[in-house]
Amino acid sequence: MGRTRHLLLWAHTFFHSWRYICTEEFVALLLALFVFMMPVSATTRFETRGLFMQTTEPGATTSYTVTLKFMSPEQVGSVDMLFCNDPIPYMPCAIPTGLDVSHATLTSQSGETGFSIHSQTQNHIIISRTPTAPIYPSESSFTFSGIVNPTDTSQAFSIRMKSLTSTDGTGPLVDFGSVRGQVETGIMIQTQVPPMLVFCAAQQVDDNCTGTDETYYRDMGTLSPNDTLTAQSQMAVGTNASQGFVVTANGPPLAAGTSVINSPTLPTESMPGTNQFGINLVENTVPAVGGNPEGTWANAIPSADYGIANKYKFVSGDVVAYSPNVSLMRKFTVSYIVNSSKELRAGVYTTTVTLIASGRF
Amino acid sequence: MKHVKSLVLAAFAVLLSVSYLLPATQASAASSSALSIAPKKNYVIEPGSSVQDKLTISNLDQTVPLNLTLRVIDFSFTGNGGTPKLFLDTNTPQTTWSLRSYLKVPQTVTIEPGKSKQVDLNVAIPKGHGAGSYYSAIVYSSGSGQGGNIGLNASGVTLVFVNIPGKVKEDLQFTHLGAYDRAAQGDLSGYHYFNAQAPDTIAYTLKNNGNVVEAPAGNITLRDIFGRTTTINELNPSDSLALIGQERTFMTCIKLKPEDVKLGGTTTKSTTCDTSGLWPGYYSVSADLFYGQNGNLTQEVTKVGGFWYLPWWFIAVSIVVLGIAGLYGYRTYNKLRNKFYGPRVAKTKSARRK
Repeated sequence: MGRTRHLLLWAHTFFHSWRYICTEEFVALLLALFVFMMPVSATTRFETRGLFMQTTEPGATTSYTVTLKFMSPEQVGSVDMLFCNDPIPYMPCAIPTGLDVSHATLTSQSGETGFSIHSQTQNHIIISRTPTAPIYPSESSFTFSGIVNPTDTSQAFSIRMKSLTSTDGTGPLVDFGSVRGQVETGIMIQTQVPPMLVFCAAQQVDDNCTGTDETYYRDMGTLSPNDTLTAQSQMAVGTNASQGFVVTANGPPLAAGTSVINSPTLPTESMPGTNQFGINLVENTVPAVGGNPEGTWANAIPSADYGIANKYKFVSGDVVAYSPNVSLMRKFTVSYIVNSSKELRAGVYTTTVTLIASGRF
Repeated sequence: MKHVKSLVLAAFAVLLSVSYLLPATQASAASSSALSIAPKKNYVIEPGSSVQDKLTISNLDQTVPLNLTLRVIDFSFTGNGGTPKLFLDTNTPQTTWSLRSYLKVPQTVTIEPGKSKQVDLNVAIPKGHGAGSYYSAIVYSSGSGQGGNIGLNASGVTLVFVNIPGKVKEDLQFTHLGAYDRAAQGDLSGYHYFNAQAPDTIAYTLKNNGNVVEAPAGNITLRDIFGRTTTINELNPSDSLALIGQERTFMTCIKLKPEDVKLGGTTTKSTTCDTSGLWPGYYSVSADLFYGQNGNLTQEVTKVGGFWYLPWWFIAVSIVVLGIAGLYGYRTYNKLRNKFYGPRVAKTKSARRK
């Protein structure tokens, strides 16, 4: 017990005395030293990095011009260029499909010059020179001919670059940074199933849009302040495009001349006796109309505002159904309700709802 | 006379049959509304050049022909997702990125039941046209539903993107990064700092201030409190684009699950998010993104974010564990205190008053 007390007393005395030595000023000085000393040994990123591919056609043999600005004052004896899908230096390097730089030649250079190709493989070039300190700011460019472009148009590729003091691409790093490139064609050549968007709409449609009942209008009956008029139509939609699809509902409100039955801009319950025109895409009980989406592709769904049972809305241009990715054929039932007030002017109230299916970007 | 009579009878019979057949002809004139189109087209066109391509349109209806009206309209974006905002009004002024003046398609197309047709698509970019991204949409409208109270129209849309190479203005600004709920469809409300469910999606939002559509490359690293890392290389599995002026949310999965999707007897690739398998706790998220068109500078944007994954069961267990630890800690403190300073003496009321 006495020993423990002694230790506690010792610790207290020790740290109390240090309190006067490690003043705030001393700590600040230490931090400042860290700030100024750290960059000396740290590597810097190349600035104004860029890549110009003479042609971006997949698989074409072309020339690449790499531009960069050396940032550190240290001597540079070599520049290492590694061609990978991923631009991040510490990540594993997957070789871009189809790329070949093994027969590339260094045809021109500007800024920091005197380089020649030291070694090269399918996705790796090291250029070297007698170690010399770059003149800052030294924007330089290197053009390589005889490079075979990657063939995959679906993803970008990168050149991971680093400058080194040694002449063989080994040893301590000076500057680093990546440039990005991508092959693309004038007209996209489809190497797999082309993206398709399938869509149909009518009063009744088959699951795969192979047929409809060819009915594109509906007489809803006579308006009354006591009753809600209802109708329904169907649409089926699907896509194999990775971005998915959206369906928007477009059109003016129900009107007879200048007399208009407005639509709620928020999902609202059916209210007989008020002027109201709305739609939704789910099964409802008040009034009994509509149906839930049918089909196995659960990622195609009604949008939030049009997917609440017994609540209706219609705003022209709203997305009523969507899929965020591939979704092969789902059938939606669109429910329409119309309510009218006693004061509503007599007339034949009509509208045309245009359902537009489009891909996403 | 008999001859004239038979002629009159024959003419009457023909008239009767024609009048009987006419409605049938009208009925068969009804148009299909079942179409299959390409949702997106991409082209790279030098100024002064043109592209002649074909649009494949299919009539999926097996019984009636598909009568389509085609027109080119402009579009923009809706919110932070990939939903196009279509400018359907014919009086809408052209956007600065419009292709309407350069993109030509036929005005009408008729396709027989169950058949496909290839129609011409021509994009011609005039000489000296500035570099950048240009886009418009082709709207295919099927027969109109006229009559009754509610008429129905079905239309499809192909988005057309043209990239004109050259020096472009590129400027992407990082605005958000973190765990994301896909149901939010790109909206910024989908970012959650505290997550009771294991997140399976990481999203990042970029504001495109340039004159070219952008799709960045790079990777995202998740780091837990023990320093274990998970790297996401597929930053943009859906090939999404940030349109000009758009603040776009890109989504990716912590773990991607590739899938083969069968369509019309052929197979296409798709990806969905697999269970992330994250343990409860705090995760830091760092993103390192690269962008830059051919012949332009490669630019890099980085951002660090983070999120908590705290399932309810973990919170409950933590409370119990902390409670037990607190109880034992209090007991230990009391024991030590008693050892050093002796047992605590309860003060009497009179002593407290003093």
